[in-house]
Amino acid sequence: MAGTKLPVVQTAGLCKTFKDFWRRPRIAAVKDLNMEIHAGEVFGLLGPNGSGKTTTIKMLLGLLYPTHGRISLFGKPPTDVSVKSRIGFLPEESYLYRFLTARETLDFFGRLFRLPQKIRVERTARLLDMVGLSHEADRPVGEFSKGMARRIGLAQALINDPEFLILDEPTSGLDPIGARQIKDVIRRLGQKGKTILLSSHVLSDVEDVCDNVTILYGGQEQAVGSIDDLLCQQDVTQMTMPTVSDETIREVKDLILRLENKNADVTHPRHKLEDFFLQIVSQAQSADVKTSGARAGGEVPDFLKTATATEMVDLVGSLVAAGSAPEVPVTAMAPPKTKDLVDPVRGVLDELLGKEPVEADEAEEASASTETDISVASSKPPVSADSNVIDALLQGEHKKSDDTTSSESNP
Amino acid sequence: MMQVWTIARQMIAEGIRMKIALVFFVLIAAIVFGLPFSVTGDSSLTGAVQSFMSYSLMATGLLLGVLTIFMSRSLSDEFVHHQMFLVVTKPVSRWQIIVGKWLGMSLLNATFLLFAGASMYGMVHYIKWTHPPQDGILDEQELNNEVLVARHARECNVPDFPALAEAEFQRDLEQGKYEQQPYFDPNLQRKNLINKYDARWRVIGPYETREFLFDNILCDRSADKEIQVRYKADISGYAQDEIFRAVWRVGDPDKGAKAYELHVRHVIDRFHTMRVPANAVADDHTLKVTLVNVNPFEGEMQKGNVLHIRKSDGMQVLFIVGSFEWNLVRLLSMMMCKLMFLGAVGLLMATVFSFPVACLTSFTVYMMAGMRSFLEEALDFMTDREFSMFSSINEFAIHSVAYMYNMVQWVIPSFSRYDAVEDFVNGRNVSLVWVLSAMGELVVIKTVIILGLAIFFFYRREVAEVSV
Repeated sequence: MAGTKLPVVQTAGLCKTFKDFWRRPRIAAVKDLNMEIHAGEVFGLLGPNGSGKTTTIKMLLGLLYPTHGRISLFGKPPTDVSVKSRIGFLPEESYLYRFLTARETLDFFGRLFRLPQKIRVERTARLLDMVGLSHEADRPVGEFSKGMARRIGLAQALINDPEFLILDEPTSGLDPIGARQIKDVIRRLGQKGKTILLSSHVLSDVEDVCDNVTILYGGQEQAVGSIDDLLCQQDVTQMTMPTVSDETIREVKDLILRLENKNADVTHPRHKLEDFFLQIVSQAQSADVKTSGARAGGEVPDFLKTATATEMVDLVGSLVAAGSAPEVPVTAMAPPKTKDLVDPVRGVLDELLGKEPVEADEAEEASASTETDISVASSKPPVSADSNVIDALLQGEHKKSDDTTSSESNP
Repeated sequence: MMQVWTIARQMIAEGIRMKIALVFFVLIAAIVFGLPFSVTGDSSLTGAVQSFMSYSLMATGLLLGVLTIFMSRSLSDEFVHHQMFLVVTKPVSRWQIIVGKWLGMSLLNATFLLFAGASMYGMVHYIKWTHPPQDGILDEQELNNEVLVARHARECNVPDFPALAEAEFQRDLEQGKYEQQPYFDPNLQRKNLINKYDARWRVIGPYETREFLFDNILCDRSADKEIQVRYKADISGYAQDEIFRAVWRVGDPDKGAKAYELHVRHVIDRFHTMRVPANAVADDHTLKVTLVNVNPFEGEMQKGNVLHIRKSDGMQVLFIVGSFEWNLVRLLSMMMCKLMFLGAVGLLMATVFSFPVACLTSFTVYMMAGMRSFLEEALDFMTDREFSMFSSINEFAIHSVAYMYNMVQWVIPSFSRYDAVEDFVNGRNVSLVWVLSAMGELVVIKTVIILGLAIFFFYRREVAEVSV
């Protein structure tokens, strides 16, 4: 991804020390940070409170000046005004003018980007629709709830169709719909090739959307890499399948114990509360229950869409559609990877147990409560759990393999 | 420019929607529309109009000054409440933010000032229309000729008193008159001599004559136009409100001007305006006015008295050079210059300090600018003696304050130098030159310097600065 192109963000030996009233150095908020974010990356900045995430972002934006070190954005210093027209910024709180209406707020920021009136009006309407606040467009932002203000904050960050989007705690203060919506927007923008820097305490947010992350602690970089590299548990193997009988489970566990001398845990996976919540809200919306707050967001505006993402749909509607439709279970929202692994494993197990194979479509219709997770802890090197392994298990042989197929899941 | 205008619009919207400006607008409206019903002056029509205009203009200037300072705190508010995070991360330069805010404040002030001026103009005509007649047509004539006009005032030429005083001083010195004086101060002696010559010249004894010469009377000298001679006199030995009688001759026939003789009965210690046809002005635009201290009215008793023409508010010749309306516009322009300067000061303070400190320092500058003449006089008086650093702590402190004051006075203007309200109320011309000089000093030079400083500090400042 980096190629030979100039990184969007590059820091070298970046330090920031906060001083006291007498200008004596007191707290080193960022120490020797070297970071590169390349075009098209969705980059996560993680760390506990006081780890220097927000300070780093503020330095990138020219809101703070580095004590030492160098920052370049698109090859220029962050104080360069021309760079700012390529950046969108959502701060950790929505610092909006209380006396401006939602529409005026977006118009104001659009003017600062020198957008022509026609484009401003159009984008304002589309963004308000996207964040679900079209019906509150002429209400002063000061009267908004925190979540609604946050949505306007997101809209203002997108008004210039930025190449580089900086989001500081983007889901803070948002209801699950808003949080999911923002994550979806981030994903879509990432697909379009936008560069995104995301700072969040909500680790699942970062995990869901980021390609690469840097973990900060004490103002220093502690870990850096891709999400997959960092999160893959090489010493645990997980299989997911539709519910099987207790007898089958017992046999599989015995088999694992016999061949591998390891105990396997068997549980039923749970719905994510987020999914369940979205389903309930969708039902309320279908019943046309009135609300003064944000409504389900509309489509992501065209000007933010990719050429390949024209199929972008009503976000919350699509998110909850599967859950609200009786014939499609919530598990339909599970990542494709999970769905893919069901078929071969189930086929093998059916074969093992002398049952008729189940069609893949039927498996998708099964609810989460009919699925079973099997996890095996191991201190050995990574183990593939594909059909070959199952065959080997059944044949009493253990065949090691480094292959990773669709039937393997590493939590 | 679009960004500057955007920031300016936002500033205006803030002023109106946050109700700060609205409160001041209501106050100004209440004063302008309420004063005519509560202020009557000396109960004459002229007095009522003058009092109304004086109070309403002073109150408007003061309120808009306070409003400007409150409005400028918007910048420090945006630092505190972090809206500035969103603005400076947009493609807008910091100088554009400062200039935009200043422009927004100035436009709001200009609008309010226009409203106040227009309302005042309307209310002047309302007073004229509703005021109970006293001297009937004469009262209205006085108002039209002496207040609702723009008159240029010329002071009379006075002899070269410093030269006369210096000559006498040197003569006395040569004669050794001062050798016997134990506390002889040559400068003080010179000052006393000048005052003596000036006082003598202003005193006109019984049956004495005094000529007052005016030049540069650049008026229309047609017979149907008029000039006005204005003066105030005291009489030694008489109680106040006594009347004195005298003869005034206006015009110099030797220079081809028409001469007019006026026999007057005037109350002492009051301003009197004598209206004379403008053809009393000579071809060379000079005017001779002669006061003869005799009683021209037969049968009316008058003791031999001594007239004294005052130095301040003394003899003046006034002639109409413009309309009341344009005079009002020029006055408002002058007031606007002060507000523009004050707005720049407020923004400078807001870039450096947070809300209460910024407002307090801006008020201090406002007060210093307003009272600069007084402060200068006070400091001059206190530091008049030769300075010795160790003479006393008190003296040292006074000189230190004077020294600091001298350091800042180059950038803090004297508002009283550009205070045209009194002249306007008295129907004096607020000259374009005066307005331009106010604009030059207050706006072109000092506002630009102050805004430059504000921009400099803003660029230096970390918007998200944290002090731990």
